Amino acid sequence: MIKEAGNMVRSRVATIGVAAVLLAACGGNGAEAPKQKTELTLYNDKGAWSEYFEQMGALSKQSVGLSMKPTGYTDSAQYQAFIKASFRTNVKPDLFTWQTGGMLAEIVKQKQVADTTAIWQEAVANGDLPQDLAPYFTVDGKQYCVPLNVAYWGMFYNKKIFDEHGLRPPETWDDLVKIADTLKQKDVKAFYHTSVLFSFVWFEQLMAGMDPDLYDRLSTGQAKYTDPGVVAVMRKWKELIDAGYFINPGDKTDPGDVLKNGKAAMVSFGTWFNTSMTQREMKAGEDYGFFVIPNVDASLPKTSMIFESGPLCSLAEAPDPAASAKYLKWWTTAEAQEKWATARGDVSANPKVEIADEALGQVTKDAGSGEYRLVNRYFEATPPPILTAALDGFSKFVTDTSTLQEVLETIQKEADEYWSTHQ
Amino acid sequence: MLGRFRYGYVAPAALLVAGLLYAPFVWTAYLSLTRYDGLAPAEWVGPANFVKLLDDPVLLTSVRNTLIWVIGTMVLPVGLGLLVAVLSYDIKGGGWYRLPFMLPYALSGAGLALVWSPILSHDGVANNLLGVDTAFLQEAPHNTIAMLLVWTWQQLGVNTLLFVVGLQSIPKEPIEAARLDGASGWQLFRHIIWPLMRPLTAVVVGLALVASLKTFDIVWVLTQGGPGRNSETLAVTMYKETFVASDYGYGSAVAVVLTVVTGLASYLYLRRQVR
Repeated sequence: MIKEAGNMVRSRVATIGVAAVLLAACGGNGAEAPKQKTELTLYNDKGAWSEYFEQMGALSKQSVGLSMKPTGYTDSAQYQAFIKASFRTNVKPDLFTWQTGGMLAEIVKQKQVADTTAIWQEAVANGDLPQDLAPYFTVDGKQYCVPLNVAYWGMFYNKKIFDEHGLRPPETWDDLVKIADTLKQKDVKAFYHTSVLFSFVWFEQLMAGMDPDLYDRLSTGQAKYTDPGVVAVMRKWKELIDAGYFINPGDKTDPGDVLKNGKAAMVSFGTWFNTSMTQREMKAGEDYGFFVIPNVDASLPKTSMIFESGPLCSLAEAPDPAASAKYLKWWTTAEAQEKWATARGDVSANPKVEIADEALGQVTKDAGSGEYRLVNRYFEATPPPILTAALDGFSKFVTDTSTLQEVLETIQKEADEYWSTHQ
Repeated sequence: MLGRFRYGYVAPAALLVAGLLYAPFVWTAYLSLTRYDGLAPAEWVGPANFVKLLDDPVLLTSVRNTLIWVIGTMVLPVGLGLLVAVLSYDIKGGGWYRLPFMLPYALSGAGLALVWSPILSHDGVANNLLGVDTAFLQEAPHNTIAMLLVWTWQQLGVNTLLFVVGLQSIPKEPIEAARLDGASGWQLFRHIIWPLMRPLTAVVVGLALVASLKTFDIVWVLTQGGPGRNSETLAVTMYKETFVASDYGYGSAVAVVLTVVTGLASYLYLRRQVR
């Protein structure tokens, strides 16, 4: 009898114990007041930049008493799924990177992102952020997030290959084609391209250089991928690929190594690609150079330049909203941006920052003075479902250029579906 | 006395199974009937995602590639595994012959793909060694076949091992009796050894069937289902639609189809084998 009673007590204790553990696991801490944090976690999809984020964490600890620990993802799909899931759970990042354009609008619409209008007003007033940048971070008249980085797109070239063949950066599109021809005769591939992720690069570049207005209309659903202007751009792209100027799109060599090893003489990317050069100990002006890609259509009033800006955000329901806001405000300052730009060898969103790299510094100044027509990068300008179809489509096209029409029709089918519910 | 509390004992396990296995499945089945981007509330659309599936050329490609994976897995890792097991089973030092086939099994699927990526990519080791210019990972269906060969390289050893275990568990008497009756070689294998190995073969083929139907990691790391979605399997399509295109409803519909196909194929096969 005593033994039975003992068993009963043990069974009850076990049941209650398990129930308590489950309740504790499910209960969460939603009702707790925000904690005052001294260390913030910055989730990002830029795993390769961890050391630079860590340097920023050390600097912010000294400057504003808030340290920062980065958690970097390398797969952006996984990263986005995690961030979206965090909106519904208690595991919320203090700070996180995201994308401008449709993706920022999506999460703002769900009231997930902290409003940074006050930070922007102050930063614009004291010259830490240019007003021109604000539209990329504005949804329904309010600003959200601050610029994590800005980048201007152009062509990085292997200076040794250029010197060896007596080549100089081009002034016109015809010059660029002549360079590609010269290199082809010397058995050197002129351009890098890829069938994975960055398959859109040459599409946006040719669109911007041939008909930037059409590019803008395409981004907002006012033009179709099957329109004659877009077909003409694709034909130009096909002409370049068929001429044999590009390396194989299935080559999985890192583009930084492609340029360093001379597998291709030129690689088109944003100024952030300079970080790849820095990591490979290549010297600007000696080992490589950078030029703005001339328009295909020389009659356009301004040279089009692809521009991108990635946001650094905090959640409306961040663990410590005040600390996150304080960090975002500090991020825009000249002190923070000086370090962030110098460490990566990149340009900065803050006009007060002096860019060490001469070519990039000049591009930043020229862009700031309105010399170029800035064109929003395809990745941000295109709504996510159309972008996904387009990346797959361009990936197919660069592998087999005869699929041109089929690819455009497939993308348009997705665009029709999207714009039918999003106009 | 303990009768009143018997559910208490079962509750922890039952709750875990219900919460971690049944609930996600039911949730996925529900999502397959909605339009959901992971952010805004899911919107009920009924069978629209399944109707869209029927008209989606990508799904056709995924089904074709998945079929190549299933048939290829039966012929290569399983078929060759059996061959290696039979040829090396009854000879002196057979274990040493089998050892090299076992070593690649230590790699994970993603690790396997990372190792083979520089070999199969354009300008990779394979093209350089063979002195050819083949787009191993670009043209369909060659890219799926190339990945299948990589998969065989890894899986052959474990199938060989399982078949050797099967061969070792066969009673000696029927084999000796058959030999006394003059059976040998193919005759002995076809009529005596193969039927006796049937229970183990059912397990090996059943596991390979399920594994091939849900092929994901090797394809994702080597080609991400491309170029132009031409090497996608059903599992890759499910992942891409859900997490890359953020179309959780449509991705869930693919998941439901994949689950039904896998469940049905396993059931039909095992029911036939374990009669």
